Amino acid sequence: MKLNERSVAHYATCDSPTDHAGFLRKRVERHHHHAHHHHSTSYQRRWFVLKGNLLFYFEERESREPMGLVVLEGCTVELCEAAEEFAFAIRFDDAGARAYVLVADGQAAMEAWVKALSRASFDYMRLVVRELEKQLEEACKSLAACCKSPRRSSSSSRKRHLSNPALLPLQEKPTMLENGYSTWGSGVPGGATCPDRDGGHAKPPPLPPRRRSAAGSAVGFPAPSLSPTMLESPVSPETDCFSKLHSWYGQEIAVLRREWQERQKRGHP
Amino acid sequence: VLKKRLVKLVVNFLFYFRTDEAEPIGALLLEHCRITKEEENVFSISFIEEPERKYCFECDSEEQCQEWIEALKRASYEFMRRSLIFYRNEIQKMTGKDPLEQYGISEEARFQLGTHKP
Repeated sequence: MKLNERSVAHYATCDSPTDHAGFLRKRVERHHHHAHHHHSTSYQRRWFVLKGNLLFYFEERESREPMGLVVLEGCTVELCEAAEEFAFAIRFDDAGARAYVLVADGQAAMEAWVKALSRASFDYMRLVVRELEKQLEEACKSLAACCKSPRRSSSSSRKRHLSNPALLPLQEKPTMLENGYSTWGSGVPGGATCPDRDGGHAKPPPLPPRRRSAAGSAVGFPAPSLSPTMLESPVSPETDCFSKLHSWYGQEIAVLRREWQERQKRGHP
Repeated sequence: VLKKRLVKLVVNFLFYFRTDEAEPIGALLLEHCRITKEEENVFSISFIEEPERKYCFECDSEEQCQEWIEALKRASYEFMRRSLIFYRNEIQKMTGKDPLEQYGISEEARFQLGTHKP
């Protein structure tokens, strides 16, 4: 399968945010049909760089181009019962896809990697963004309600202080975001088995609605294979909430400007 | 020469298929790219390190073209990261609370502002 390799290599090595980096030993996978009965597993030390949902690995830290790339969608990151200490594995829902067994330098490094990789998927990021979008809209709404002219009917909304947890819709599902996990293509979510210090038990997040319609993309012409949800709530600062923000900040600025102008008049007769 | 392709946007990859095949011919990683409206019904994707090389796509209608442009502009992981940081800051400003704290992810490197190299 072709890939825009040059752009990918450029992205891997440029100074866009790196979410994690370090040396790991990567198990060399032998083909199954290379059937010898001596299990000589060998590992090669590589320099790994995590950017977003992409895990690049380089032959050496100074290498100009990555050797390979692992796309972290539809995978789980688990501790691994290898002969090696501090080993963990990236496994994919797709049965045909090979797993990656990686070995860290120590306990802390292993935990840091597992944590970073568990939350690396695009789907996880999208989940968090959608939740924040909702929260922002809620916050805007109640601020707008507070800022409106005081009428008796709005007194109940004014009672709602912004720090009231009732405004934050996701309070009842904290574990969903602690173990970020997603599926890609398959319809069955597994359980994230990554041990989480925060105490959240492994509970898979609800399957995002788009998964069910994605499989039925039309064949024959370029069709925007986007879920309706994605089009309704675009992930961008240009939601209509932003315009509400504008008008809210705009009021504040208008007041400040008036005050400044008053001061100017007094100061410069 | 334009060839008819099935094009699928999945996370930050744009896959393209021959119309009767199940396996993609190829994919474009959509990071550090620019989406440009070209002539009618046509948009292009180009990448930061090679801006003159354009991958052109012709749509069936202007409306479809606009939909694709909007979708592709938002498709990168980096775009989502910036959105998240934006929302986080706005919520913090409006409510005085960091919305990521309740999920225990406020210290995650990927949600911080600015580049960071460990």
